[in-house]
Order: sequence, then C-alpha cells, then structure tokens
Amino acid sequence: MISLLSHIISGGLTGLLYALIAMGFVIIYRSSRAFNLAQGELVVVGAFLVWSFANYFGLPIWLAIILSFMVSMVVGLFIERIIFRPLVGEELFALVMVTIGLLVFIRGAVLVIWSPEVHFFPAVFPMTGLKVGPFMVDKGLAFGGAITILVAAAFSWFFNHTRTGLEMTAVAEDHQIALSLGLNVKRSIAVAWAASGVLCTLAAAIFLSGKGMTFMVSDIGLAALPVVLLAGLESIGGLILAGLLIGISMGIAEFFLDPIFEGGVAAVFPFIIMIIVLLIRPSGLFGWKTIERI
Amino acid sequence: MTQPAGVYAQTYDEDQAIIRTRPQCYWFIIFMIFLFALPLFGGGRLVGILNIIGITVIAVVGLQINAGYAGQVNLGQSAFMGVGAYTAGALTLHLHLPIWITIPVAGISAAVFGAIFGLAAVRIKGFYLALTTIAAQYIFSFAMIKLPRRWFGQTEGLRLNPISLFGFEFDTDGRIYYLILFIAVLMIYGAWGLVRSKTGRALVAVRENDNAAGIIGIDVFYYKSLSFFIGAFYAGVAGSLWGYYIRYIHADQFTLWLSVWYLGMLIVGGMGSILGAIIGTVIIRLLQELITYIGPHISEFQILSGIGGGIVFASMNMLLGGIIILFVIYEPRGLVHRWNIVKESYRIWPFHH
Repeated sequence: MISLLSHIISGGLTGLLYALIAMGFVIIYRSSRAFNLAQGELVVVGAFLVWSFANYFGLPIWLAIILSFMVSMVVGLFIERIIFRPLVGEELFALVMVTIGLLVFIRGAVLVIWSPEVHFFPAVFPMTGLKVGPFMVDKGLAFGGAITILVAAAFSWFFNHTRTGLEMTAVAEDHQIALSLGLNVKRSIAVAWAASGVLCTLAAAIFLSGKGMTFMVSDIGLAALPVVLLAGLESIGGLILAGLLIGISMGIAEFFLDPIFEGGVAAVFPFIIMIIVLLIRPSGLFGWKTIERI
Repeated sequence: MTQPAGVYAQTYDEDQAIIRTRPQCYWFIIFMIFLFALPLFGGGRLVGILNIIGITVIAVVGLQINAGYAGQVNLGQSAFMGVGAYTAGALTLHLHLPIWITIPVAGISAAVFGAIFGLAAVRIKGFYLALTTIAAQYIFSFAMIKLPRRWFGQTEGLRLNPISLFGFEFDTDGRIYYLILFIAVLMIYGAWGLVRSKTGRALVAVRENDNAAGIIGIDVFYYKSLSFFIGAFYAGVAGSLWGYYIRYIHADQFTLWLSVWYLGMLIVGGMGSILGAIIGTVIIRLLQELITYIGPHISEFQILSGIGGGIVFASMNMLLGGIIILFVIYEPRGLVHRWNIVKESYRIWPFHH
C-alpha cells in the first residue's frame, strides 16, 4: 500500500514537470498557432546553457540559471524573428513544417557546440530525499511541482488580466482579425517565444538537477505532449490538472503493469490515455471548442 | 500544366495516357535502361546507396499521398515501416512463405495499423493528429520489445537469411537492387495513377477544406482513413524490403527521427506531387551520403585537425535543418516547382509566356 502511494506521489510530481514543459508549448500555440515540435530541443538548449555557465565558466548555480534564462529568452526571440515572423499569416501547415526544420537544426547545433558526450548537470536542489511521513520524495521534483503550480497561476493571471496577455489571447484566436484591430501580432508572438524559452530552461533545471544528460533529453518534450492534449491546447490552468492526472495514472500503471511487462509501461501509458481522451473529447478537457465555417 | 506544342488528345485514352509523346517514351525507356544498368558500372557502395534510396522513395511516396495529398500530418511513417518489416520478417522466418506473399501481407498489416491511428483523424482535426501518430511510434516500440520472443525476438530483433524468388537468390546488394527497383517502379506507378483518379481528387478536396468536401458529397471519414491506409501500405512494403535488404530487424531502427526526416524530404521536394517526393528523397539522401563521405576527409586537413568527424556529421543536421526551414519560408512548393518552371520555359522557348 505504501509502495503504491509512493508510486502515485512520484508519478504526480513527474506529471507536474510534464505540465511545466507543456506550458511552454501551449504559450507558443496560443499566440502563433504554431505547433512547436521542437519543444524538446528547447529544453536541451536550456539544459546545456545552465551546464555551460555553471560547469564550464564555474559560476554559482543561481547566477548560472539567471544567465541561462536571459540567453534562452534571446534564443526564443531569435527563432521568432528569423523563422516565424516571415510566416505570419501563412497557412498552419507551413508553421508545423518549419518546426520540423527547426528540430533538425537545433539538434545539429547542440551536437556541434556541446558534443554528444554525457554531461553532468549541476545539482540545483539538494540531492537528499524529502521525508514526508512514511514516503521518500525526490526533493527536486517536490520543489519543481510547487514551482510549476506557481508559474501556472502566474501565467493564467497574465493571460486573463493583463493587457499584453489579453492581446496574446486575441492574437491566438485569429491573426487577421487581431491585425485589423490594431493589435501587435509580432510582439505577442515574440513574447510567447521568449517566455517559452525561459520555461524550457526552468524545466531543464528541475528535471536534470544532479543527473547525467545528453542531447537525448529532448525526448521529454514528446513525453509531455499527452499532457498538452489532455488539457486542451489552449488551457494553462488545465495543464496542472492534466499533468497530475497523467502522472498519477502513470504511477498506478507502473505499479500494477510493470511486473507483467517487465518495465517500460511508464513511457507508453500516457500516449494510450491520450488517444482514448482524444477519441472521446477531441479538444481535450479544457480546450477551446471551435465552430467551423466554410 | 501545358503540353509541348502540337500535342493534343483526340480520344479519352490519349487524354489519360501518362506518356504522351514519342520523345517522352524514348526518354523513359532510356532512363529505365540507365537505372537497370547502374549497378553494373557503380561500385558496391553506390548500389548500397541506391538500395536505401529506393526503399526510402517508396515510404516517402506513401507519405506524400497521406500528408501531401490528403493533408494529414503523419509522424508515424517509420513506425508503420517497422510494422511491415516485422511482419515480413516473421512470416519468412517462421512460416517460410515466399516473398510474393509476404511483401503484400506486410503492406496490408502496416496499413491496418496505420488506419487504426487514422481513424482518430475523423474526430481529431489538424495537428492534434500529428500527436496520435507520435503515439503510434511509442506504441510500436513498446509492443515490439514486449511481444513474445517466439514472434519478434524482443530486444534481440529478427535475423533473416537471404530471400529467394523462383530459385533466384537475392543474396548480394546488386541482386536485391533489381527487386527493390521493380517494386519501387510498381509502387510509384500506382501512386501516379491514384492521385489522378477520383480518389486522388477526393483526397485533395479533403485537404483543402474538409467541411466543404463533406458538403459536396465526399465521404470525409472514408477518405481520411483511406489516406492513412494507403500511406501506411507504402510504408509497410518499404519496411519489408528494408528487412530483406538489411537482414536484421530491430525496433530501434524505426525511430521518430526517421519520420521527421521523411517529412523533411517532402518539404524539400514539394508537397502534393509524386515527382516531388522522389526528388526530395534523392536529393536529401545524396546530400546525407555526400556529407558522410567527405566528413572524414575534412578532418584530415591540417588546419581543421581539431574538428572530428562527429562534428561534421552533426553539422549536417544543421545544414539540412536550415535547408528545410529555408524551403518552407522561401519556396513552399519545393524543388518540383522549380523543375516545372524550368520545363515550361524550355517548352515555350524562345517566347517568354
């Protein structure tokens, strides 16, 4: 019983981490309608930035993380300026296809700059476990979960109560209409990319704290996709719930099914949930329902 | 598209012919002889490259029908290929069936697997769909490693012996080249016919606007799943050839990364054109081979001695990723559009329009 509960807790916390990565994805989607398949690569870039500042330049970890936030923000702005600005108003198909090119490009760049060897990520959080009653919880994941909830609340407030956030929501509805209302579509998309870059770096710092990493870390970007879909592509608050749901069911599945399949269930189970949910509710739990006209 | 001057159809059969003029016929025959004779002149390395190109062309043409014509983004093509490879491999290994049975069966099993994920396309629109196909990839990798060892060998994969047809052993690169060439030509011919047919036009209508297509009486549900069925069928056939050529099948060979490349080939070649799929595949594959070939040579130079071969290989990704991005931004219709412009201006020369 205790073992099952600890599976559920660690599953839920992992789910919250997925929600954090998913948030970067949703923020980009909300503003530019671009389905960013290269999200995992942004996490890798953020991770290697922190590594460079902390291990290569030997800066203290808090300074390394702040500097990485700034650089990843610049990277996000750069991607927006070079790739997505020429595509404003283009059809959605092009927006998705260009992220495929971006995916290939960033992976190549990461390999060239940081090589495919294993790098050891500095410990952001203390490596000891956190003891809550009878359960041992990974401290990094626990702090990460709390940070995720705070960030989600902040972004939710930002999108619903500030001028810039509301503008971005309008831009997400329709680029053409937003333009004709005099809203700054380019700025909205740029803000979204900068915010997404920072979120990816944050997720990398939480996820990788004290672990070895290679460019293959980008797989987490794909693992987070079921959370995005379960929440619906437009909802930020929904991500927390969806992350918890996916994470907890993943923990339960791991507990009961892993002995049968000899491990590996955790990687595939979120996708099975995702397909079932999509067949019942195509726009996810909290996504916008669109009415289509010809 | 305009025809050469003086060429016009007088019967329906002439109007529907793929080869319209005598020079086209000659050039086609010369091209086929060229393809047929290529292994006789080139070394073993060239034949190996050609074999991989042939297999990839089949998979990418299938993806073109699915993504380029029907507009359904599909990131599961390599998983579908894997299903075909495993099916063909297991049938050959356990039941010793001849390849003229196993290759079509491999195609159909992949098609059924693909259509299951395509069914989601009915409810799910746009790019949610890309995600269910990513799910196909994860489920494929999981299933192939976990299914009983007797079937698919789990983590050990499947090892095959050279196949034979009517006593002819396909045991060398040069020999299997002809099998791949024959099937590739057959599949491309089929695709060419398909996209000109009623089905092809329905797929394009679904791509352009599925609501409108539904209203004018096209069964959107049927054609969306059909496009996945056909696309995955091509992938399955390509996968079975892959298995017979490499003679070793493992789930790790069929990655999401490969599917990403297939879409990249489509973008560079041109979406919505069978010729585009072929051009894109050949160009990207040759570029990859070229960089793999010159990579070690670059690091031999004294000045660049600090640069290892691995770096050159990685910068290939940067180069090709950059090419894909540039094509989406500046030439969304791909290389095939450029080729058509060149062809048109050749035909109407010396006039401008």
